[in-house]
Amino acid sequence: MEALQRLLSLGAEVDGEGCAAGEGSGLLLRGEPGSGKTALLFAVALVAAGEGRGPVLFVARRALQSLPPVWKAGAARDPLRLQKIHFLYPPSLRELLQLLSSMHERAAQPPSLLLLDGIDEYLAETSGAQACAHLAALLVDTAAHFSGCSGSGCGLLVTMQGPAEAELEAAALQLAVLQRYLPTCLWLEPEPPDLAGAWPQHSEQCFRARLSSGPGFPKQEWCLSFGHDGEMAISQVSRQPSQHPPQKAESSSPS
Amino acid sequence: MTATLPTVLEEILGEIAATCGEASQVPDELLLALKFIFGPSAVQALDLVDRRSVTRISSPSGRTVYQVRGSSGKAYVCFASCHYCSCPAFAFSVLRKSDSLLCKHLLATYLSLAMGLCQDLSMSNEQLSGLLLAEEDQEQV
Repeated sequence: MEALQRLLSLGAEVDGEGCAAGEGSGLLLRGEPGSGKTALLFAVALVAAGEGRGPVLFVARRALQSLPPVWKAGAARDPLRLQKIHFLYPPSLRELLQLLSSMHERAAQPPSLLLLDGIDEYLAETSGAQACAHLAALLVDTAAHFSGCSGSGCGLLVTMQGPAEAELEAAALQLAVLQRYLPTCLWLEPEPPDLAGAWPQHSEQCFRARLSSGPGFPKQEWCLSFGHDGEMAISQVSRQPSQHPPQKAESSSPS
Repeated sequence: MTATLPTVLEEILGEIAATCGEASQVPDELLLALKFIFGPSAVQALDLVDRRSVTRISSPSGRTVYQVRGSSGKAYVCFASCHYCSCPAFAFSVLRKSDSLLCKHLLATYLSLAMGLCQDLSMSNEQLSGLLLAEEDQEQV
């Protein structure tokens, strides 16, 4: 959860409280295509890179397809920060597993954050629960190892594109397995234009983020927006039924 | 081990660690409790502990992994930070059916740790990477 805490330290000025979530350092970011997963991941990478701790590992199947909105912000143009973000593009599940297994061999300085964009693209190669568990467990174990090395924690953030209800049995099983290892889920969706208009900033893109970590855990909700200047603004959404109709909130909540 | 365990298992492991410090003797009531919670795999796990089948492997990088030699002689890999074992029973009963909490290898690992009966082994970083990665290959051997 530290990754998110760090992310939300940006919004902390607005909100004062930040995010007090459960144990565990892993977070699963889920959402439909275009719901701002990669944009948020890149923004988190920039924040973590500016903290003066270890490097940030950004793992994805292929290079960024478009520049994330935060690219226009001043922080993204800081070469010292960009240098600390190491992009790695393993092209297959096998190579991703090899990368994770051997990461401990050469990390001169333990990374402060491990990011994997699009775990679904790797999991599409297999239908097995075992392979999915192996990948998820390796991610958790690698982050735990680096946390032990640095003493200041290594966050783990994984994005997954996925519908609320998985149609296929194999996909549903994989999701259930993934949630064993990453029980905390942040669900992202684009803000509908009529609600986005209510935000005072000159925002280009707005997203709604909902955090859930199993039953009994109070759900938290934020609004993220990227302004024309690329700066990201985060504010906590107070539950007001008049503003946010409850059926909208429930229709897409992860089951 | 930082993996979160069911509270009941935490309690039992804590009592085992407290009572069997030198004697290596687990009190009968704790054995019964284990059998009650885990069924037949409790006995199998205790058998693995008796044979000293659990090895804690570490490398110069500081990375640690547990290897458990099963009754058939095959070696399975168990992770230290989360519940993961490379054995088929873990894939089937724990992941797929969700009808058991742990496989016997993971239970044996936790018990060996509580009783102080893990073997220790060092290997190179590269060898340890191979262990983390190559579960499928081992199963085919």
